[in-house]
Amino acid sequence: MRAVKLQLATKTLLNSGAFQWKKVPAEELRMAGARVDLQPSRYVRTVWAGRPVGAVRNLKVQTAHNSRDILFRLEWPDESKDTDFGDGSVFPDAASVIFPLKGDAPLETMGSPRSPINAWYWRANFATDEARNRSCQGYGTEEDSPERQVQARARWEDGRWYVVFARPLSANGKTNVKLSSAHPAKVAFAVWEGSSQERGGLHSCSRQWLDLVIE
Amino acid sequence: MPVQPPPVKRQLAAVFDMNKCLGCQTCTIACKTLWTDEEGMEYMWWNIVSTMPGEGTPRGWQKLSGGFQDGEPRPSRLPKLSEFGHAWEFNYEDVLYGGQGMNQHLQPKTGDDNWGPLWDEDQASGAYPNSYFFYLQMICMHCTNPACLAACPRQAIYKRVDDGIVLIDEERCSGYRFCMEACPYKRIYFNQAKKVSQKCILCYPRIEQGVAPACFRQCPGRVRFIGFLDDEESAVHKLVKVWKVAIPLHPEFGTEPNMYYVPPLSPPLFDDNGDVIEGSERIPRQYLESLFGPDVNRVLDTLRTEMAKTRRGEKSEMLDTLIAYEWKSMFGGFTRDPGTLKRPV
Ligand code: SF4
Ligand code: SF4
Ligand code: SF4
Repeated sequence: MRAVKLQLATKTLLNSGAFQWKKVPAEELRMAGARVDLQPSRYVRTVWAGRPVGAVRNLKVQTAHNSRDILFRLEWPDESKDTDFGDGSVFPDAASVIFPLKGDAPLETMGSPRSPINAWYWRANFATDEARNRSCQGYGTEEDSPERQVQARARWEDGRWYVVFARPLSANGKTNVKLSSAHPAKVAFAVWEGSSQERGGLHSCSRQWLDLVIE
Repeated sequence: MPVQPPPVKRQLAAVFDMNKCLGCQTCTIACKTLWTDEEGMEYMWWNIVSTMPGEGTPRGWQKLSGGFQDGEPRPSRLPKLSEFGHAWEFNYEDVLYGGQGMNQHLQPKTGDDNWGPLWDEDQASGAYPNSYFFYLQMICMHCTNPACLAACPRQAIYKRVDDGIVLIDEERCSGYRFCMEACPYKRIYFNQAKKVSQKCILCYPRIEQGVAPACFRQCPGRVRFIGFLDDEESAVHKLVKVWKVAIPLHPEFGTEPNMYYVPPLSPPLFDDNGDVIEGSERIPRQYLESLFGPDVNRVLDTLRTEMAKTRRGEKSEMLDTLIAYEWKSMFGGFTRDPGTLKRPV
């Protein structure tokens, strides 16, 4: 996918409803449920073996930058807006933009000790504009990184989530993926549907890494 | 391959003598005031004393499954907030201080959600005059093979090598709550304010300083014994390993709990004329078997034999231990006065 260059303030683009997003090419991604047999908990493997994982099957993604920040706009259908823990048996909806930190990190396990990933993580119970910048070396190992330059703004309307993530292109540090027009990068996406009790390694994910070109 | 229990050098264990429990909930309040009085913890009762037969808390937990069968995890589900019951706020201001005491009664401000942790407290089963109930003391079982630990994908739960206490590392916990599902005793609570799972810590900061856990030390009924299971001097060792009169609750859950129970003896039944039916028991054995397994029969028979001995004027070290004439004998060396501890500021 291609991050198109726009002469617009990040503030403008963080608004998923901004008309300028209409001109940005969109990719419709088919999502797949995470593999239950690769989950690190025996309980999870047993209980979810017979349960569908990955309720969200279609994700629309767009990306753009304004030389300062790079942004990803995600959009998906979700009839139930889960912003918290409800009656105790649901989870907040969530989404991630994922990058390999080295070469081809295994996507289906969310990285490995040798090939960590960087995941920008938004969850529907976070404060406005809050997102976490995480690194991960396989299911269950996600850690918040000390570099916190990622933000996200979300909106739910008429059965759809719209989430825009943003991070400075210049962000560096060990756990931050390097993003620039000089660097070819790869990207993937994950979505958690809280009312289906998706959390942790139970989510839907784009099927493979996509090439990311920054104009 | 079955789930392997984590290794420990020693295991702390407890015995609850159900025959002595007053149902006073002093233990419950001791834990509440010490550990669960912060925001997000309002509805938590790491210790609770449930009336049995009854639903316990969360409501109907015994039917929710979890734990292991033949070493394999058994599926369960997350208990709902309504099954725990919300922590009610009462209209104290109006009734006690607002001059409304004559026309308003004390009631929850948030509305009645028709369930709470002690909703069925002291509610008996069976028909008068043969009705019965007893109290069941519940804390985390600090299991030898904890289902909570095995379920956590983040390895946020660990079992301490030196004493077998099972703890949740709140720094690692991401609030996924697989532990809550998997624990067959449903002893884990979710803290909505901190977004982490929390449970009984067996008062490890007290244990580390030689002090019995709060709910043990505060119990006026001398119901609760604690000690290392391998400490041959401890009452716990004698009751569990030597005399074998303390047995686990729901051993079929497969987690090898380390809380043991002396099961409840019953008064006899009355016949239609109001006469005692000799040798009868109010609490159906079948019900007790559903809690403790068939081994409960052997224990109750042992207790009866021992009681008959003392009636004949003979001595019973076992009964003396259960009576606990000297409170220090109950705590396996954890007898330091908590008043001598430095309080954290
Ligand atoms: S009782 Fe439940 S929470 Fe406690 S150790 Fe056992 S499985 Fe874990
Ligand atoms: S042992 Fe301590 S933490 Fe556990 S229930 Fe008793 S008072 Fe609470
Ligand atoms: S265990 Fe002790 S403190 Fe708790 S209810 Fe029974 S008698 Fe009271």
